[in-house]
Amino acid sequence: MSFWFTVIRQVGRNLRQTWGSQLMTLLTVTLSVLIFAFFYLVYTNMLKWGDRLGDDLSLIVYLEEEPGPELRQQLINKITTFDKVEKISFISREQAFERFAKQLGQNLGVLDDLPKDFLPPSIEVIPLKNFRSLNQVKLFSAYLAKLPGTLKVQYGHEWVEKFYYFTKLLSIVMLLSGTLLILTTIFMVAYTIRLTILGRQAELELLKLVGATNNYIRVPFLLEGLLQGILGSTMGIASLYALFEWIKLHFSGPGFLNMFEFSFFPPVVTATIIGTSILLCTLGSFSTMQKFLRI
Amino acid sequence: MIKASKIYQQEIKALNDISVSVATGEMFFIIGKSGAGKTTLLRLISSMEQPTTGLVEIAGKPIYQMKGYKLARLRQKIGVAYQDFKLLTDRTAAENVAISMEVSYKKPQMIRNRVKELLEQLDLSDKHDKIAGDLSRGEQQRITLARAIANSPTMILVDEPTGNLDASTTERVMNLLTKCNKSGATVVIATHDDSIYKHTPHRIMELQKGRVLSVTRGNGA
Repeated sequence: MSFWFTVIRQVGRNLRQTWGSQLMTLLTVTLSVLIFAFFYLVYTNMLKWGDRLGDDLSLIVYLEEEPGPELRQQLINKITTFDKVEKISFISREQAFERFAKQLGQNLGVLDDLPKDFLPPSIEVIPLKNFRSLNQVKLFSAYLAKLPGTLKVQYGHEWVEKFYYFTKLLSIVMLLSGTLLILTTIFMVAYTIRLTILGRQAELELLKLVGATNNYIRVPFLLEGLLQGILGSTMGIASLYALFEWIKLHFSGPGFLNMFEFSFFPPVVTATIIGTSILLCTLGSFSTMQKFLRI
Repeated sequence: MIKASKIYQQEIKALNDISVSVATGEMFFIIGKSGAGKTTLLRLISSMEQPTTGLVEIAGKPIYQMKGYKLARLRQKIGVAYQDFKLLTDRTAAENVAISMEVSYKKPQMIRNRVKELLEQLDLSDKHDKIAGDLSRGEQQRITLARAIANSPTMILVDEPTGNLDASTTERVMNLLTKCNKSGATVVIATHDDSIYKHTPHRIMELQKGRVLSVTRGNGA
């Protein structure tokens, strides 16, 4: 009889004898992976969305008067003194009116009685892509506000700030759920293996006396941990995928969620989550064996 | 075994300066009253315990210094029938006998045949699939013996093999042990049942309070 055949038979026997606690562990591993992966998925999607928002980020500097060519050059010089920018465009009162009219679409009529120069002229500044952290944008905005003839600077700071703090909160939740996943998984697997070892103390002692090698005794427990990791993480990720597809199916179409373009983990991330869970479960089983298996 | 002693906690001396040598292929009896140290002696030889002082060697190697794979390989060659049986009471008789062969990765067919053969020789054929915990003490004792010799070990250590058996079953057990001995295994039997060593031609060591009282040859010589 080969070593692996014997070991697999032992694993099968262990699973049959302790199926109750094994099932509980499997569920715990599945839930831990599901919770962690859920937050991680939301987090990565939010980051992606944030990146896309960042692509559209521009600071609008409203001016009191339309600048002449000389003042324009001075303003450009002052702006680029702070940092290089991707683009600077001057919007005249008329251009602002045209843009506004275009945005109104069918409601264009509301502008009928208004003069075409009622909107202030402005400068549209698009910062460089590597210059888009919240603090940098805040500093840049404060700098622009001090430019001569500036009425105010607008970049949707409230929304950007809220989004920034939301992603911060998500990263904390993700870190916490990640830590919990690690602790819960190790603890549950270790506890189940410990119960199995204690319940089979007499058998393990006998195996030792009849000449079982350490590997013969240890490997089945390691395999149990490995199996918990494979099954638990696969089930966790599969459940998340099912949930993801369900949400996409039921909430697609016009609505709030349609603003986001959700995407699932790429295969590498999925494989990393599954691989890490397997490693954690095996570690849990290994640490218990070191503690409780006196061979 | 050279000047081996075993002292348990509270200064209980189970064995005191025991020196004895058992040759390969010999059948050797250890006799003495309860508490004489017979079981302790077997536990030292089977490396279940270490001597407090002295040396225990098998084939010239000190066994208590062996660890890991080497110790496991040695234990596969020593079959032990324990006085407390050490059976897995939730497994069948056949599974209990098979366990000693499984650890040395014997083929399943070979294991099945050997188990069947041994149970037949010990008059336990009908107990093949019975749960060990449900069997009588005499039957459990024979399963323990079957497990000890199943892997065809080179050394068999038997502790009180006939304690729970009637005369005819005792004879069956002794015939099986003699057969093993004739096929080359060293057999060491610890017993206080004089019916099994009274007419033996083999050496008999008598223990008393952990010391060797005498080593004689049986009057069947």
